[in-house]
Amino acid sequence: MNLDLSELSQLAPIFRELFKGYHVSRRDPELYAQLSNQQDQYRALFKALGFELVCDPRGFYYFVPEQMGAQVNKTAQRLALFTFILVEHLADQGRDPLAVLDGGSIGRDELPALLEKYRDLFVQAEVTTQDELEEKVMRRLGQLGFASEDNGIYRFLAPMHRFLDVCLSVQQDRDLAATLHSDLPLPSPQLIDDEPEDEIISLALDEPELSEEDALARAMAEERTQQEIEA
Amino acid sequence: MIDPKRVLRALAEHWTLLEPLCEHFDSGTLSLVELRNQLSAQLPDSTPVDITALLDQWIRLDILVPVAKSPNRFELNAQIHDFLAYLRREHRLGLCLEIEAYLRHLERLAGYIQDAFEVRDASDLARQLRLLDMRVRDVLKKLANDEQALVAVAERAKTSDRQIPLRQRYAEVLATWDEYVEPMIQLVAADGAFEQGVYRVEHVLLRLLGEQQRLGQLVDDDLLLRTHARILEMQTTAQLTLRRARELLLPLREEARRHNAVTRGAALALAAIRRKGLDAVPQAALPLFSRPQSTFLGSASQVEAYVYALARFQPKPAQFPKASATRKGEAPRAPRTAREMLERCQQALPLPDLMLWLLEQEPEGATDELLYWFSRLSRDARFQRERLQRRDYLTVEHQLSLSSFALIKSLTAPDKAEKNPV
Repeated sequence: MNLDLSELSQLAPIFRELFKGYHVSRRDPELYAQLSNQQDQYRALFKALGFELVCDPRGFYYFVPEQMGAQVNKTAQRLALFTFILVEHLADQGRDPLAVLDGGSIGRDELPALLEKYRDLFVQAEVTTQDELEEKVMRRLGQLGFASEDNGIYRFLAPMHRFLDVCLSVQQDRDLAATLHSDLPLPSPQLIDDEPEDEIISLALDEPELSEEDALARAMAEERTQQEIEA
Repeated sequence: MIDPKRVLRALAEHWTLLEPLCEHFDSGTLSLVELRNQLSAQLPDSTPVDITALLDQWIRLDILVPVAKSPNRFELNAQIHDFLAYLRREHRLGLCLEIEAYLRHLERLAGYIQDAFEVRDASDLARQLRLLDMRVRDVLKKLANDEQALVAVAERAKTSDRQIPLRQRYAEVLATWDEYVEPMIQLVAADGAFEQGVYRVEHVLLRLLGEQQRLGQLVDDDLLLRTHARILEMQTTAQLTLRRARELLLPLREEARRHNAVTRGAALALAAIRRKGLDAVPQAALPLFSRPQSTFLGSASQVEAYVYALARFQPKPAQFPKASATRKGEAPRAPRTAREMLERCQQALPLPDLMLWLLEQEPEGATDELLYWFSRLSRDARFQRERLQRRDYLTVEHQLSLSSFALIKSLTAPDKAEKNPV
């Protein structure tokens, strides 16, 4: 492919932004238009330089770091956590998470309640105050092109689909679901400490007249058997 | 027997009153009191007697009928309701089963047509063909109605309040898909009941045409051809209706499904993080992106040295003291804190040469540590400083060449200094 650099008039700003980890979307009309119009040329040029330009059909462009060197950094984890929290928070409020995260917005005034409600989770991402939430999450979202801030309103942009895709892949991750469910508390411990159920059942069969305790033990054993069958 | 003209006249005359009532009757029945209230709201000048007379008229004309077992509640006569719905272009989605039942009936009629032809009963053949034609018209009417109803379902979902959760907004879409579109897909599939039924009826009609040419006419060929054409029209309409239903509802259904999947995925991820920490989310799933680069200035030789050091990095095992072991010699001194150093520096003011003072304070100090303290103390906002001439200083290991500072006096109150990050 012959590249005509004079056609790539926005090469410098595009490379600078993408190299910083920024996602170019329609919010940057000039860069986006140039990338859309000269997509193949840019892709070829960046590939030759060792950068993989991803052109997401949902309307955004970004660089993928090489898999070898790529590590999920703290920022990615923090932003993913924020997305999970926001989706759940909005769903709890009866609002539509997709409508908000796909072009919608939230106000800065909503952040304190969010932080308070999910404090235990934010702590894991080293976010404990509203300032930290704004600095480590909201500003980062802006720096990377996932959101824009205007007058205390955070508007989410098309690249947020990358995090929504994470939600989808988590949902499809059967292993994760299985691990989670396997950790659920087991049935009450008293039942585990009981005598083997065969003995209780055989006792009940042998002795038609049951004491109150025996009747209780039998009922518990029957219930447990039923639970096992249902499981 | 109620005179149809009187019913039509009453509908035309009271249309302005009946139309708003239709909306109420679409969603249920109305008690006599509710009916009276509705009408008196629309007719503010009328007396209760007038309203009673009006209701009496509607009941007599069978426009309003009492609800079974609830004589004080009323609903629109089902026939009138359907007619008004047609006039108002309000379409209620029918059942896929109805279409299937019609098809079974068409197949039965095809059987009767065949029987009538075999016994050469011309009048029965004509009657059965007319019945078949009317049934096909019924199916066409129903398909047209259903298509309009499907459009309305999609419109309601799209235009409803965005604040309502998607699951609720799209509940009707999801139910319609499950109860109408999905069975329709089965029905209209190549091996489904619809295609097979149409094929059988078509086969009978075409055979009849051929036989008529051979044995002589029992009915007009045009009647057969017209019925055949209408059956083909029915087949095409069913496919078009289904395609339209899919076009209208599939994106909405997918959106609802995706929404559910996203919400469920987020909840699952949060549950995993609560139990197992931030690393519980599968790393492969997280978007990878380049970290924003911090901008820093470094000379070419610094970068070269840094890379050289990285390339020849040799890990050294860290020696930690054993808890049980007794210490030999002097206990190691705890590292000095910035606060401690700042206080000592403040007490020693004025300092003619900060670097010299540091060398006096920490004669055994490592070079990098001394440089750190030099940088830290000389930059501190609480001191007024003065740049000195460049000169050489000797640490334990190195000879340094730098322009030191003279710290003259303290500038600020201690509380401001506290705010500086330490």
